[in-house]
Amino acid sequence: MSSPAIKSSWWMPDIPKSAVLRRRMLWAYVFVAAPIIALLVFLAGPILFSGWVSLHRWDMLSPVGDMPWRGLQNYVFLLTRDTVFIKALGNTFLFAIGGVGANTILGLGFALLLNSKIRGRAVWRVLYFMPVITAPLALAVMFSFIFDRNYGVVNNVITALGLPRQPFLSGPNQALMTLIFIAIYQYVGYYIVIFLAGLQGIPQDYYDAAQVDGAGNWQEFRFITLPLLRPVMLFVVVTNTIGALQVFDLVFATTGGAPANSSMTVVLHMYNTAFKFSRMGRASAMAFILFAIIMLITILQVRLLRDRTYQD
Amino acid sequence: MTKDEKSSLQSAGSALKYLVLVGGAFLMVFPFVWMTIASLMTAGEIQMRPPVWLPASPQFSNYSELARSIPIGRLYFNSLFTSGIIVLGVLLSSSLAGFAFAKYRFPGRELLFYLILATMMIPFFVTLIPVFFIVRQLGWIDTYQGLVVPGLTSAYGIFLMRQFMVTVPDELIDAARIDGASEPMIYWRIVIPLVKPALATLGTFTFIGAWNNFLWPLLVLNSRELFTLPLGINSLRSLYADNTNLLMAGTAVAVVPMLLLFVFLQRYFIKGIALTGLKG
Repeated sequence: MSSPAIKSSWWMPDIPKSAVLRRRMLWAYVFVAAPIIALLVFLAGPILFSGWVSLHRWDMLSPVGDMPWRGLQNYVFLLTRDTVFIKALGNTFLFAIGGVGANTILGLGFALLLNSKIRGRAVWRVLYFMPVITAPLALAVMFSFIFDRNYGVVNNVITALGLPRQPFLSGPNQALMTLIFIAIYQYVGYYIVIFLAGLQGIPQDYYDAAQVDGAGNWQEFRFITLPLLRPVMLFVVVTNTIGALQVFDLVFATTGGAPANSSMTVVLHMYNTAFKFSRMGRASAMAFILFAIIMLITILQVRLLRDRTYQD
Repeated sequence: MTKDEKSSLQSAGSALKYLVLVGGAFLMVFPFVWMTIASLMTAGEIQMRPPVWLPASPQFSNYSELARSIPIGRLYFNSLFTSGIIVLGVLLSSSLAGFAFAKYRFPGRELLFYLILATMMIPFFVTLIPVFFIVRQLGWIDTYQGLVVPGLTSAYGIFLMRQFMVTVPDELIDAARIDGASEPMIYWRIVIPLVKPALATLGTFTFIGAWNNFLWPLLVLNSRELFTLPLGINSLRSLYADNTNLLMAGTAVAVVPMLLLFVFLQRYFIKGIALTGLKG
C-alpha cells in the first residue's frame, strides 16, 4: 500500500481534524456508498438470510415471519435420507476430480508445447480458446446433438468403424463421463493460456544455468518449471475446482441429471428443489453444505500447493 | 549419434508436436464446424442411415425459417442491452469503490474492505434464493431491472480495481489537488485514464459473463420479448426437438458472431486473462 495504513483500528474511528481532510474523507464515503449498499443488499444480506432460511421450512409464498422452524432437520435429512442429494454430491465430486485433473495435465502439456519453438502460437491459442468464450448453454446444445445416440456424429464415426453404437449422454454409465469430457473441452483453453503466461514468466537464465550444469529436459521440468509454476498451479486447481463444483448450465441442458440421476449435480438438484418443488429451506441447506465443502477443499488445496520454500 | 541422426530426431520430435497441436485444434474446432454443417442439412439428412457428412445442397432456407419462428434481432438487442448496462455498472461501481479504498483514509475502511474480501468468495448459488426473493418483492420479476440490478456491482471488480489503483502515484493526485482539482475530477481525469487496461479487462470478463449467463435470466424472465440469447437457445430445444437442423441454425446464429468478434479482438482478450488470472 502506498498510502499509509490508518493507525487507529476500525473500531476506534479516527476523524481528521482539518476541514480539508474531512471533506476528502466525505468524498471517499460518497464513492463507496452505492457499491457497498449494493453488496450488502445482494450479497452479504442474502447469505445471512439464506442461512436463516436453511433452518426453516419455507415455500417463498408464506410470509417470512411465519416460516416454521426446523432447526438442523433440513441438513440431517439431506445427509441421511435424500438419496438424490447424496448421489448428486458423489457425481459432483467425480465431475470435479475428472475435469480438474484432466484440465491441469492437458493445460500444462499444451502450454509447454506452445511455449517451445513453435510457429503460429497466436493462432493455436485462439483455436483452443474458442469454447471458453462460448455460452455453456450453447455448447450443451451442440454436444447433445454431437453425442446423440441415434444421429450424433460421434456414433456415426463409431458405427462406420464397425463398432457398436454408444448411448453417451443417455447411458447411466456414460452420462457423467461424457459431461466431464464436455467440461474439459470447454475450459482447457483457458488453462492453457494461464499456464502459458506462467511459463513465459519464468526467467530464461534459470534454464541457461541448468544447461551449463548439464541438466536434461526432464530435470529442467522437474526442478525449474514445476516448482516455479506452483502459484499458477494453485490458481488453476483452486479456480477450476470451485467452478466445477458449481456446474449447472451444462447438465441442465444436456441430461437434466438423467438417466436415473446418474448425472445429477448438486446445484441442479438445488435448483429443482427450490424452483420446481418450492422447498426453499432444504435448498438453502444444500447450498450451505456445498459452500462448506468448497471452502474446505479450497483451504486444503492452498495448504497442499502453496509455496513452501520458506518452510522446508 | 551423428549430426544427421540428431537433426532427423529433432525434426521427428517437432513433427510430433505439430501433430498433437493439430489434433487438439481439430477437436476444438470440429463441434462448431459440425454445428454449422448440420444447420445446412435437411431434417431428413440428419437422420439418414448410413449417415451423410455434407448436405446435398446447403439449406440456407433453414435460417430464414428460424428467423420466422424466433425474433433473433430482439434476442440480440436484449443480450447487448442488459450486458452493456451490467458492464457499465460494474466498471463504474468497481472503479469508484476501488479508488476510495486505494487512495483515501477513512474510518471503517479496513472493515469495509474485509467485507469485500469475504463476499468475493461467496458462490452465486448460495445467494440465489434470497436474491430471487428480493427481486420478486421489488416486483421486478420479468423486467430488465430484475435481470440487471443484482449484477451491477462486483466484489471481485472492486478488489481488482483497488489493486491497480494502489499503483497510481500519490504525488500525481496531490499535484492535481494543488492545481485545484476536485476529488471527482481527480477520479475521472487522473486515475481512470491510468487504469484503462484494467478497466478493459474487467469490462471484457463482465461482458462475457453477462452475455453467457443462463441461470439468472432463466429464473427472472418469463416473456419471450425479454429473452436473452441463451434463453432463446433454450426455448428452441423444445420447439425444435425434432428439427435438429433448425436447432443448430439457432445455436450458430447465437454463437458465431461472438466467436468472430473474439478472433478479431483476441490479443486484448488473452493479455487480459494473463493479467487478471494471475493477479486475482
